[in-house]
Amino acid sequence: MEPAEAEFLAEKELVTIVPNFSLDRIHLIGGDLGPFNPGLPVEVPVWLAINLKQRQKCRLIPPEWMDVAKLEEIREQERKEDTFTPMPSPYYMELTKLLLNYASDNIPKADEIRTLVKDTWDTRVAKLRLSADSFVRQQEAHAKLDNLTLMEINTTGTFLTQALDHMYKLRTNLQPGESSHSQDF
Amino acid sequence: MSEAYFPVGPGLGLEENFLSLDDILMSQEKLPGRAESSLPRLAFVLGQGAGTGDSIPEGTKLEIPLWLAKGLHDSKRRIISVELPKIYKEAWRTVFSADATVVDLHKLGPYYYGFGSQLLNFDNPENPEIAQTLLQTFISRFRRIMDSSQNAYNEDTSVLVARLDELERALFQAGQKGLNDFQCWEKGQASQITASSLVQNYGKRKFTEVDG
Repeated sequence: MEPAEAEFLAEKELVTIVPNFSLDRIHLIGGDLGPFNPGLPVEVPVWLAINLKQRQKCRLIPPEWMDVAKLEEIREQERKEDTFTPMPSPYYMELTKLLLNYASDNIPKADEIRTLVKDTWDTRVAKLRLSADSFVRQQEAHAKLDNLTLMEINTTGTFLTQALDHMYKLRTNLQPGESSHSQDF
Repeated sequence: MSEAYFPVGPGLGLEENFLSLDDILMSQEKLPGRAESSLPRLAFVLGQGAGTGDSIPEGTKLEIPLWLAKGLHDSKRRIISVELPKIYKEAWRTVFSADATVVDLHKLGPYYYGFGSQLLNFDNPENPEIAQTLLQTFISRFRRIMDSSQNAYNEDTSVLVARLDELERALFQAGQKGLNDFQCWEKGQASQITASSLVQNYGKRKFTEVDG
């Protein structure tokens, strides 16, 4: 999977916008949206919110967690604990990037938020690497990775699964006996 | 960017992977051995004598590629016996257990893991130790590979991969791809449409030259 695909999935998340136009309920395969009334907040998927925002047809209300105080708390929590802490959204990285890129004028302290989220991300990735290393070192057979988000799994996923594949094969070499000789001369 | 073709990985065990290019290259690595019976008229084939009629007397030291050694090695009919290459012998195994990260596996291998696994085919009494060393070497070198592949962004990686064996290099590339894809996305380059690498390379080679 590629980061762009993870981003695509994140675009299905709902955000609140305040439209400045009026439109009846629209019926789409994915569900009904609207109705849109000027000044009345309405929940729409991110892809629509961004599209409307780009055409300056709405004001975006950032998700509850996209707030400096809350993110600071999350960052501290993440640094304090050894395990992964639950994130406010399974797509926190993607949403931060999308919303800050297209609607930074509607989000207060956008730069601070960007840094905070990036810090949290770095902490989590470092943790992931640390646990991967101890996982390999102790030759564990399975691990539980709670609270990891798609994007995080995506960056180290291929590498880790490949490494574990190799390790598994090298480990099966340790058990001789049923060595199957397919060719006998 | 998805790749145009997916290389088949090495078998990394007693059996080689038939379709893996790495395994094909690995199977022609040389193995020290000794002729257990005289081999008439085979000197030329094994690169020992000059004339086609020369034979190899019993007890001659040989350097045979792995694929041939696998075919000739038979515990019942003693044709050849196979010795361990020096990097799989005890002296080197001690080095690996001391600190595997400093060893230049590319110079010694470059198919250290694959070749080592193949050696288990020859019923050597040291087999369990070899298998154990292979696994431990991989484990102790894992951290270094992971960290370097996930941190080296936009720099020359040739120094980092210089000491890695082919298997580890493939792993390093996988790590680099994860990192590069993420950085690319973060900078917003992922949304730009680029030409496939297949198309980009298309014009570079003139097909008339290949045909002629």
